[in-house]
Amino acid sequence: MCVLCGRDFVAQVHWTNRHIEDKARVSGSDPLEYQRDRRRDRVHRAALTNEVLRHYGLRVEDWSGSKYLLRDKKGRSEIVQDLGALWPAAEKLAGRPLDPLDPALLHTLTEGD
Amino acid sequence: MANTAVLVNEFGKVGLDHHLLRRADEKTVLLEHGCVCCTTREDLVYALLNLLDDEDKGRIPALDRVVVETTGLADPAPILFTVFSHPVLQHHYYVERVISTADVLNGHLHLDRNPEATRQVAASDVVVLTKTDVAEDGEISALRARLQRINPSALIIEVPFGEVDPDQLLRPAADWNNSAPTPEAFVVADGAHVSRTHSTSLTFDGPVDWAAFGTWLSMLLHARGEDVLRVKGLLDAGETGPVLLNGVQHVMHPPEHLEAWPDDDRRSRLVFIARGISSEELIGSLEAFRRIIGARPRLLEANAPV
Repeated sequence: MCVLCGRDFVAQVHWTNRHIEDKARVSGSDPLEYQRDRRRDRVHRAALTNEVLRHYGLRVEDWSGSKYLLRDKKGRSEIVQDLGALWPAAEKLAGRPLDPLDPALLHTLTEGD
Repeated sequence: MANTAVLVNEFGKVGLDHHLLRRADEKTVLLEHGCVCCTTREDLVYALLNLLDDEDKGRIPALDRVVVETTGLADPAPILFTVFSHPVLQHHYYVERVISTADVLNGHLHLDRNPEATRQVAASDVVVLTKTDVAEDGEISALRARLQRINPSALIIEVPFGEVDPDQLLRPAADWNNSAPTPEAFVVADGAHVSRTHSTSLTFDGPVDWAAFGTWLSMLLHARGEDVLRVKGLLDAGETGPVLLNGVQHVMHPPEHLEAWPDDDRRSRLVFIARGISSEELIGSLEAFRRIIGARPRLLEANAPV
């Protein structure tokens, strides 16, 4: 974080966010449209991720358009930058590994299908 | 090959302008929580930054390309990670391709004895077969078949007497799928031996939600990244062109959202090369994620462990 302006610099854009961040760098791109796309993408991503996190009793939400806030049911929370940081933080809160090949998770995802 | 700088581990007797030939001794820095693939090669950072500086000051001609020649046992993932994650390098360089060489006479031996050899083949876009001029036809085709089983997405070329057309090595990235499996090809996997490396090629029955696929893949790489030796392919994300995915272990190339498909086939084509993860597990996981991802996976080809 910059001590003068209070902003933090993100040196590394996570690969899952690249398509949105790259649009902002194209010259002549509309900054408002970029902001709209970005916000929509963040809300959509949080909703999708919550479908997975539900199995672990966790929930993630967009936090002022810059970070994600991850919470568990005991009120503990972690602030994360992107999906790259989300999984290790979620694992810490859940106290067990998060694996998309785990049959128990796959069972939860297909319940009610 | 004009305006190409070459970084080598050891000086060889190569007739190149010495300004464009640098020695970079392997020096790695393990990052916090780092696995082996997420390490920074400080030697490479230093050498690549120096080249930028020299180019900027006019000490060398403007560069089109840098070739990094590694030692025979180098793991390609830290090199990719270094270029993608360094705050300066990521804006000045991009990784065009990974090329490995396989000696037809000793290739099987190396693949049997050194796990690094399999990792190098899995990470490659092009594999160059060497010593084909002193080998029997049977040896060449056997090694070629084995390499293609490890990495169905790699282009395998033969270089008799070391003569190679640079264009053949440095062809555009979009033609990667020349050797990719067609949907008609279907080989049943040997599910009993998943502890070793094997590859899975798959497609989807429709466009996928890019954000959702990113969620699944980032979760997979978080959990099993060290065992996912390679992910490569074109993904139909419902846009005019596909998303070009390319990753080695935890290290993903920045995905490219292409303007157009390279050919008439507009279906997703993905290849996973993994150690200890069966095709059934991958397909089963994507099948369970289908509601989130928005499409069902279809297995194209599963290669038995090699």
